[in-house]
Amino acid sequence: MNEVLSVLQDFAQQCNHNERLRKMNRDWSRLVELLATDTGVTYWLRSDQGQITAGVGEIGGVDLKILAAEDVLRDVFSGVMTPTEPYNAGDLLVKGHQDDLMRLDIITLLIWGE
Amino acid sequence: MKRVVSVSLGTSQRDHTASIRIFGEDVHIERLGMDGDLERARRTIQDLDGKVDAIGLGGIDRYLVVNQIRYEIRDARYLVDAASQTPVVDGSGLKDTWERWVVEDQIAKGVLRPAMTVLMVSALDRFGMAETFYRYGFSVLAGDLIFGSHINYPIESLDELIELGRKLLPEMVKLPFTQLYPTGALQTAAPDDRYYEYFSNTDIIAGDFHFIRRYAPEKLDQKVIVTNTTTELDRDELRGRGVREIVTTTPVIAGRTFGTNVMEALLVAVTDILPWDEAWSEVVQKARIELAG
Repeated sequence: MNEVLSVLQDFAQQCNHNERLRKMNRDWSRLVELLATDTGVTYWLRSDQGQITAGVGEIGGVDLKILAAEDVLRDVFSGVMTPTEPYNAGDLLVKGHQDDLMRLDIITLLIWGE
Repeated sequence: MKRVVSVSLGTSQRDHTASIRIFGEDVHIERLGMDGDLERARRTIQDLDGKVDAIGLGGIDRYLVVNQIRYEIRDARYLVDAASQTPVVDGSGLKDTWERWVVEDQIAKGVLRPAMTVLMVSALDRFGMAETFYRYGFSVLAGDLIFGSHINYPIESLDELIELGRKLLPEMVKLPFTQLYPTGALQTAAPDDRYYEYFSNTDIIAGDFHFIRRYAPEKLDQKVIVTNTTTELDRDELRGRGVREIVTTTPVIAGRTFGTNVMEALLVAVTDILPWDEAWSEVVQKARIELAG
């Protein structure tokens, strides 16, 4: 299986098995598109009232768009690196609402923080 | 006369000047709002460096102190580094002591009672106050995620607050400050009714006034507010909305309460003792007695 897809699916599973994250995201329904800028492959994460799923391929009705190289996407969503690092360096671009970006940051930190 | 200037990332609409006599010295205090403009704030600090006795950093914390661990906000460090001669302080050295005392004093007076429920609109920036409420047995909800990030999740225990601080703050402090806290025009943004439920179910509303102003409902009957940076107009407005008591965490000078950064800069200016010096707690204790009198 594609490595980034596998990482995203694992990320989704960790969110779904985390009671606090489920509660935090209970009113959060969003479609996040992740475009790997070096390979051109598009991935997605969907939150349906806090239940997260992941997939690969073009998808319509996107709320938040994240653009980064495959290895950055892999490292951020597997907890190797925090989103702040590539975001501040300009290696991870985000198009969408500030609140959604902040929430994704917080989710990753609550899974892998410390 | 000593001169203290507070350079604030907040709105310039709240600019003011005042004079205060403390420890036998007259001090002129001035607030300069930068309307959220970080670069303008840095230039202003550069201009003031060496010309005033102390600079307060307003509308932004340099340090968040949670459970004795200090996290430094990157943008604040950028501002502080603009001065090489005049001390620049953010108020965190006061918050952690003074705000604990204010809560303890109000408990002793019976204004705050442990049977009351508390909504702290933000607690990670006022851990001393939050910890004091928890320690005295108050039932506390911390709204850092709700009001700071619009994640509808109240933090219900001190342990969870500490855990979230430990997990989130090391990275959050590296983000542009505008992503963490309302600055400039956002401080006067229109009221937001999304989280009224948390206000109606609480007796005490504590913490940052900008969050209270934006998110509290119109009717605040019999609530007690514990906050700091308010003007006479703010306090009149709160009373008009039914607030029973307003506890300000810094003294009222010339009709308004100054931010903790101003108070801290004031004490630095008249004593030449810095918040990280050993004698600092003695200075704060002395000021507490003088200003209470």
